[in-house]
Amino acid sequence: MEFMYATQEQFDRLVDFKGAREYHLSKSRVKKDKRMSLGEAIDRFVQDGDILAETGFSYVRSPIQAYFEIIRQGKKNMVSIGSPMSNTSYLMTANCVYAIHLSYIGVEMRGNDKNFARNIKTKKAEILSIWSHGSMALGFKAAQLGAPFIGSKQLLGSDMLKYNPYVKVIENPVGLDKSEPVVIIPALFPDVCIIHVQKADRYGNAVIEGPAINDIALAAACRKVIITAEKIVPEMSIRELGNACIPFWYVDAVVELPYGALPGCCPGCYYWAREWWEWLVRIGTPKEENVQDVMRYWIYETKDQFEFIEKLGGIRFINHATRLMEAAQANIDDSLVSFDYQEVIPKWD
Amino acid sequence: MSKVAPANPLEMLAYNISLMIEDNQIVYIGTGLPMVGAILAKKTHAPNITMVYESGGQDPLEGEMPWSVGCPFTYRKSPMTLEMAISFGQCAIGYVDIAFQGGAQIDMYGNVNTSVIGSYENLKAILPGSGGGNDIGSLTQKSVLVGLQTPDRFPAKVDFITTPGYLDGGDSREKAGLLGGPIAVVTQVGIYDFEPVTKRMRIKALNPGMSVEIAQACTGFELLVPEGEVPFIEPPRDEVLEILRNEVDPRRVFTKMPGS
Repeated sequence: MEFMYATQEQFDRLVDFKGAREYHLSKSRVKKDKRMSLGEAIDRFVQDGDILAETGFSYVRSPIQAYFEIIRQGKKNMVSIGSPMSNTSYLMTANCVYAIHLSYIGVEMRGNDKNFARNIKTKKAEILSIWSHGSMALGFKAAQLGAPFIGSKQLLGSDMLKYNPYVKVIENPVGLDKSEPVVIIPALFPDVCIIHVQKADRYGNAVIEGPAINDIALAAACRKVIITAEKIVPEMSIRELGNACIPFWYVDAVVELPYGALPGCCPGCYYWAREWWEWLVRIGTPKEENVQDVMRYWIYETKDQFEFIEKLGGIRFINHATRLMEAAQANIDDSLVSFDYQEVIPKWD
Repeated sequence: MSKVAPANPLEMLAYNISLMIEDNQIVYIGTGLPMVGAILAKKTHAPNITMVYESGGQDPLEGEMPWSVGCPFTYRKSPMTLEMAISFGQCAIGYVDIAFQGGAQIDMYGNVNTSVIGSYENLKAILPGSGGGNDIGSLTQKSVLVGLQTPDRFPAKVDFITTPGYLDGGDSREKAGLLGGPIAVVTQVGIYDFEPVTKRMRIKALNPGMSVEIAQACTGFELLVPEGEVPFIEPPRDEVLEILRNEVDPRRVFTKMPGS
């Protein structure tokens, strides 16, 4: 394979089952207090050249504040993977990510991510392989299951097969119909993921409320795992409910990071900063200089999530976002809040 | 005279989507107009459908229109949520009846492109990529394609097959090993199906005021026309339009015509 930026070793490492196993075997088993600051966690466990897996669902329980810290620390030469992976385009603009394994980068009904399109068109970043959400999810799941690969029925007949050197179509050797085509999807082992959760204890046992997307599989698959948590809770409170979905021995660092998913939403905690996203999509992304402006104001000139909240409107914003989430989850009566917001911000492009 | 204004093209599209859904089905929902159509179906002729979402929400309580596929309204008091791999898995093992998919291009065999206009080597426009589209369209028993119909968006062949329809027609989808397949295409002009042998797109019924000529003029390939008279779709009843406007999309996020 010829790449513009990525190395062959980076490309191969994603499917290096033995390498990932060796790495996991080498990790400390000590059940110790792994709490540290976000800055320290990113500094120690996200390295230049890593394959970074996006977690959450675009802007739902995604560790966006941690991505901002990656940008502030100026990590570089990383490869990004995830389904979906809508935060990657900003990591490209900031020169943190130079190559991706693409499943989806966009903003759903708000359209294409012009920033992503520009980064690919201007060859600031390259696409290494192309996936659907489900096929990539199966790659992570295979890794969690300890299965070298999974045979599946998606991707067949699509042009993605031509742009995905990792997968292979074979005739099902164990099916009733031995001529039936199936796609072999290898177990995928990214280097590092940051998973934002509602609750974790100091050792890394973590509880996810709402959709887990790929995060349970990714916690097992990735060589390094950083947990950012809305709240650090006593270990016993997790033991009582027995509902942790990530065990402490997968976890390298635990960061207490309330509001760590902002400006995205966090189930059980707060709703999106919707105007922020509308602004980003309609005004922030059409031009490179606008993206740079957005990043300067919201990332480089913002120290942490608390300063970010101040810029969003402070306690008033948080109070409203919290109430909206309570109503969205039917924990309070819908009639107590209004979901109206200014959704039509004039377009600039 | 009716006091209710007639359906605009987007409302008609949402209505036609709703007609694809039968009561008691398990429906896989994306964002945008398919969501509007499905909620309309649930509030009208199909009250017992169960909605499932790719982000993992299963059978949520009714609420506001979700802001994203991952919105809390897609798992509002859900009895459970499923991991993504498992959520798609239930399409493959036969627990999902119908799914919807939009795309930048849809071709004569129902292949869908959400990846790239031109090619990755010679880019004209880069689109978001498959997301769950390929999974849903490859695995679900029945899929319905949704699009605004123009000759550019309905070319003879898509630039990139993100989600396979009937590939090159005939039995090529089956031979590729895919499950299920598209049963219809719904646009602002009308509803299309696929001729059973060639698998080419065929007019099934047209929206009020449309004609075979208009349908053809909005298409980049030759549409098949059924024998005899082409049926017209009955416009939605006033009650249905009122439910659509007042309960399903009251803020007119998806059904307001641009510029109106």
